[in-house]
Amino acid sequence: MVADAPVPETPAGVRRRARIRAITLESRAPDRAAAWYRQALGLADADPLLTAGGVELRFTLATADAPNTVEPARIILNFHVDDIRTAEARLVALEAVWVRELERTRWGIIGTVLDLDGNFVQIVEPAPDSPPCLQPKEEHP
Amino acid sequence: MATPALGSILLGTTNPHRLRDWYAAALAPGDGGEAFTEVTPTMFAGTFGDTSVLIDGRSDVADRNPDPGRVILNFHVDDARATADHLNALGVTWLVELEERAGGLFGTLVDPDGNYVQIIELKE
Repeated sequence: MVADAPVPETPAGVRRRARIRAITLESRAPDRAAAWYRQALGLADADPLLTAGGVELRFTLATADAPNTVEPARIILNFHVDDIRTAEARLVALEAVWVRELERTRWGIIGTVLDLDGNFVQIVEPAPDSPPCLQPKEEHP
Repeated sequence: MATPALGSILLGTTNPHRLRDWYAAALAPGDGGEAFTEVTPTMFAGTFGDTSVLIDGRSDVADRNPDPGRVILNFHVDDARATADHLNALGVTWLVELEERAGGLFGTLVDPDGNYVQIIELKE
């Protein structure tokens, strides 16, 4: 009889799953990029932090002549909204460049624009029957 | 209308299984391999706090991120030193090893695709 291999014990300090609290975006013009996201997401100017559902967006300075993101499909931020037409209207008002106009998919209605540094930004109105992990998380004030 | 939430961060990769296994082992070691759900055979989703990581197998990216540092995922942990020990036991690659700064402990590692991932334990 062969015993099962022992399962290594997880150290106590790492038992709880890590939490994403912030995303850092490098930008040629961080202040302008932050203002763009604030307008794109409809966030109040007065808020000291730029947060979307409990995750802070931070902007750091890239070199001023850095080219646009080389591979925009590498990391894509998906912003969940409950009214995709309102979110679309904000992006149209910003004259955002659309990579993919609003489209109904199995996950919900999705549209993709470029931010000022060439990153893909998606707005998503999740479908009611999309997998639980893709549904909106608990609402944050 | 509620304020938009960062529902997920999609990581495009040519090797979704490898990336899923790495994030599960590195950042959700207590979950016994259950950190991610299979959405499709080449797409996996795992929740990390208030948002999810979507690992998406796709052909429009290279094997390795040619431009890391453009977007950095910041993961907060309860015990950064224990996390660093755990990550070292996994043999991860550090860009900046764990160090004490004004606000707490910070370290930056590189995932198997070359993306930068920051580990943070803030001083309370």
